[in-house]
Amino acid sequence: MITIENLTKYYGNNRAVNHISFTINDNEILGFLGPNGAGKSTTMNMIAGYLPMSDGKVTICGADVTKEPSKAKRNIGYLPEIPPVYPDMKVHEYLSFCAGLKKVPRGERKAEIDRVMGLLKIKDVKGKLIRNLSKGYKQRVGFAQALLGNPRFLILDEPTVGLDPNQVAEVRSIIKDLKKEHSVIFSSHILSEVSAVCDRVIIINKGDIRAIDTIENLEKSFATSQVLHIKVKGSKAKAASIIEMTKGIKEITSIEDEGSDIYSFTVTMEGDADTIRDSVMAECLKNGVSIIEVFAERPNLENVFIELINRPAKKSGLQELLDETPDVSGEAEENHTEKEEE
Amino acid sequence: MFPIYKKELQSFFYTPFAYAMAALFMLLFSLSFFTGIARLEGSNTWAFSFTEMFYSVILYFIFLIPILTMRTFADERKNGTEVLLMTSPVSTGKIVIAKFLANITVYLFMLAGTIVFPIITSMKGEVVVSQLICAYIGIFCWGAMYIALGMLISSLTETPILAAIIGEVIMFALLFVDDLANTAFISQYPKVQSAIYAFAAQPRFAYFSEGFIRLSDLVFFGSAIIVLLIWTYISIEKRRWNRG
Repeated sequence: MITIENLTKYYGNNRAVNHISFTINDNEILGFLGPNGAGKSTTMNMIAGYLPMSDGKVTICGADVTKEPSKAKRNIGYLPEIPPVYPDMKVHEYLSFCAGLKKVPRGERKAEIDRVMGLLKIKDVKGKLIRNLSKGYKQRVGFAQALLGNPRFLILDEPTVGLDPNQVAEVRSIIKDLKKEHSVIFSSHILSEVSAVCDRVIIINKGDIRAIDTIENLEKSFATSQVLHIKVKGSKAKAASIIEMTKGIKEITSIEDEGSDIYSFTVTMEGDADTIRDSVMAECLKNGVSIIEVFAERPNLENVFIELINRPAKKSGLQELLDETPDVSGEAEENHTEKEEE
Repeated sequence: MFPIYKKELQSFFYTPFAYAMAALFMLLFSLSFFTGIARLEGSNTWAFSFTEMFYSVILYFIFLIPILTMRTFADERKNGTEVLLMTSPVSTGKIVIAKFLANITVYLFMLAGTIVFPIITSMKGEVVVSQLICAYIGIFCWGAMYIALGMLISSLTETPILAAIIGEVIMFALLFVDDLANTAFISQYPKVQSAIYAFAAQPRFAYFSEGFIRLSDLVFFGSAIIVLLIWTYISIEKRRWNRG
């Protein structure tokens, strides 16, 4: 487990990271999301022990990064934003240097290098000079370096930047596989990537943590006005009255006639979306109105992200953010939504 | 520590770098060797002296040592590989020592090439071995000090070329510390003069080249190397703090 307490970094008078605290659990993929210049790389550099912190504490498996650096750093594999490779070295030379640097026992080095090269599919370039490799391969060599010695924690700073879509998918699937044995902290400003890979997300902007939670919870908590789309077949008036009478339904905002007795209702609701949906369906069925389609509209991660980073800075923590009522009822509907068919 | 030492050596010896340096060093050495022989012509009373040769060879150091050391840290920074070293379980102090030892190894390789000149001489004449050994010890000490200095400069700069140029300027200036101490102005103040003179490496080297090994000189070079390496360590650590 990595514990980060009150981590702060000043560059001169400029505060890059502001008293952030969180933990990284075992076997978890933690996404680090934020716009450019939010303090992602600075935070990662501090966790990896490259940059000293202005204040705060990072503990990796019980070892303080500043007090027992060599013990702490043994448990970390770090891939910085620019892969730290020597252009004049061959791939296998470079990896064997890194294995030595990470104190992989001499006898196990060869097997270990073979393992990471297999994992990242770079065996076919092992005799090439790194200088001559493409960006994607350089990135993979850098990634391979981070995996050497099988560290428990991997810190990956924007591992998919500059890769083609095919390689991005590959790297993502590698990261997902790593979860079995490692914990991964992984930064990105690409939302779809984070939602595809991570268990939990930290949203950071201007050095402040804006939210830490799972993606589902984030999406749920930011559903400002809940909207339900119901498509029924039968009498329009009957259906409307049934829907309107159901507990939890606020109002019917629109009814569309789609021909052949099919009507599409858009309703807003208050309270727990799941129960309301169930009771609407139950009421309809009970009264002989057949339901063709029901789905709830919800804000996706993109909306949550934009919403969170544009908020004036609060101390931190999701709870605090939730305590104040969000005021974006209009916005949520404008943005495109993910549809969940039932 | 050893992997870094090995990697540094690889970067010198797997590329033409170390060989080119050694060749250049031998070429420069041979120039003074050649002049020495030329002066011998016609007179047997003129002793052919390696001491003098070593003395003039020091001048060439100013051009060679910064080129040897320029890449030490500036290159790591340029490639972004500094992060790799700093986040590995090897401490900064060990990194500095490993790199210093690697540079020293290349330097010894360069020096080894010059042994060919005493060998040639011994074929046709006599070499005073004890004096030669002293001169080699002296030149080794001087070079080691300049390597430490070059590493410090490399750790302060962003690009290798800049490190080389600054290194050349500073090393050139250091040659004249004793001249500075002996200027009419400074010699008005004997205390200041002796203080400045204490920093001059050239007169100390003169003792070595004449066949004296004095403890005070060894201590001078040794402490200069230690101070410069610690300074290098501090400058790397300081850079991490100030990075923006």
